[in-house]
Amino acid sequence: MKDLARRKRLRHSLIALFTLLIFALPFIITNNYYLSVLVIIGIHTTVVVGLCLLMGYAGQISLGHAAFYGLGAYVSGILTSTYEVSPWIAIFVGAVGTGILAYVMGIPIFRLKEHYLALATLGLGLIIHVIFVEEVELTGGPSGLSNGIPYLSFGNFMLNNDFRYYFLVWTVALIAIILANNVVHSRIGRALRSIHGSEFAAKSLGVDTVKFKLQVFALSAVYASVAGSLYAHYITFISPSPFGMMTSIQFLVMAVVGGLSSIWGPIFGVTAITVLTEGLKSFMYQFFPLAGGEYEIIVFGIILVIIMIFLPEGLTSGLANTYESWRYRKEKADDAPKNQ
Amino acid sequence: MTLLKISNLTKHFGGVQAVNDVSFSVNKGEIVAVIGPNGAGKTTLFNLITGIYPASNGNISFKGTEINGIAAHRVAQLGIARTFQNLQIFNNMTVLENVMVGRHIKSKTGFMGAILPLGSVQHEERDIIEKALEKLAMVGLADKALEEATNMPYGQQKMLEIARAIALEPELLLLDEPAAGLNSTETRELIDIIYNLRDQGVTILLVEHDMETVMEIADQLVVLDFGNKLAEGTPYEIQNNHEVIAAYLGEEGLEC
Repeated sequence: MKDLARRKRLRHSLIALFTLLIFALPFIITNNYYLSVLVIIGIHTTVVVGLCLLMGYAGQISLGHAAFYGLGAYVSGILTSTYEVSPWIAIFVGAVGTGILAYVMGIPIFRLKEHYLALATLGLGLIIHVIFVEEVELTGGPSGLSNGIPYLSFGNFMLNNDFRYYFLVWTVALIAIILANNVVHSRIGRALRSIHGSEFAAKSLGVDTVKFKLQVFALSAVYASVAGSLYAHYITFISPSPFGMMTSIQFLVMAVVGGLSSIWGPIFGVTAITVLTEGLKSFMYQFFPLAGGEYEIIVFGIILVIIMIFLPEGLTSGLANTYESWRYRKEKADDAPKNQ
Repeated sequence: MTLLKISNLTKHFGGVQAVNDVSFSVNKGEIVAVIGPNGAGKTTLFNLITGIYPASNGNISFKGTEINGIAAHRVAQLGIARTFQNLQIFNNMTVLENVMVGRHIKSKTGFMGAILPLGSVQHEERDIIEKALEKLAMVGLADKALEEATNMPYGQQKMLEIARAIALEPELLLLDEPAAGLNSTETRELIDIIYNLRDQGVTILLVEHDMETVMEIADQLVVLDFGNKLAEGTPYEIQNNHEVIAAYLGEEGLEC
């Protein structure tokens, strides 16, 4: 199949091109504020890539991913600050622990479907969030964990500024994308998509739908956990507030805006929403001087509705379709003279 | 040799007896058709055999193993594949990918292998593609492989479902109304495909309304009516069975 090989080559060259672009960016953008936004985009991208595997490919939903993100952050934070464990080991422990927790919690949760599943994951997220707030001795409670989460370092090379951290975060994000891309184009990816397409038919073809739902849920939780750890070592302070329901919804909106069934979608979705949120912070203030942070949810809601109506497949697919139809028209126009 | 043996199978949904005390068996290499008026319990019977839901009572034995109550994906792994009356194409995939899902149980790449596709995984992937194309060729869709499944006309989607089901290389293939909605050319192709599969050793159990097709291809017929088995036999026997004629044409039919 030449066509298949061609598609695969195209995918690989896209990834290579994109990698180059990403790593060139911090040499062009030297403003610290912009760099810090790009670091956060990289961290969020990692979460959303995992969420897209779960939502776009397997057709399941999670409104609790901020909790897994938080678990990664807290495990890293607590192990490194309170118990002085090596940060790299802490990240690993957080990822494995969160993955196992997601798998086990998934066993009862994934008996549910659609709205009920959404509610159950929402509940799971809220419970974990309550633990962050209430387990004061362990987590520092509402005021957070402030007794010195260390910066990450390779030997003596400390990743203590935005420029250095940028490379780590985006290396992780790119690995996350590449691995997700591998999964999507594999036997497992097809099994996941078959669940989305028709769970009934998937089962009749021998796909153990329950097992695959749990596995992809766990994998997406691992992604979120690693991202959370990176967040903790970047900010070096964590409190429960960034790991609440609002963040789960934000991840969901990012995933939907980018396009659920595209492995490139997350980058676009996260960038669009992050830039918008950052923009709103300075912009909304001028119109509504008294507006608190909660107005974001109104904007997210509006965006979600608009995307669902006009670009239900998200920005990436929407733009790709526009390009395809443009190319099709162009090819037709090019062919026309030959036919005469 | 008996491949599938159904004994005293009963399924009720609340007060409705969808299948009531039905027994019959399917021998290896046969083409067996289940016929009956709408609501006779044919599709319920298929769903029971393929483990979509468990029977209220009775047994289903496949190659001597009891399969009643086993999860649907396990039934498929044992060697029973099916198509659906209401198409269940994966609309989010290409034609080829649809059939590649059919190779799921014949391949074994796990999550780890999927994340890091090393040599053996890539080799398996090539094998899956090759086998899937082979099955597509069997139903005459090889040249459509890279099209989006959702864009195909109805008749071709039905053929695609068959290709996907036989990608499992099942011993028993269940076809739920395969000829419904097909034109006469397509029906002809379908019959050829079914014969072709039988010649390859696949046993076929089908539900079908198109009597002409059924009488032509079936070795054995099972007639259901309101969940009960009305009759069983060769097409010739069934065509001359008074009860069956009465069920199909009403009592007046007998007088003609």
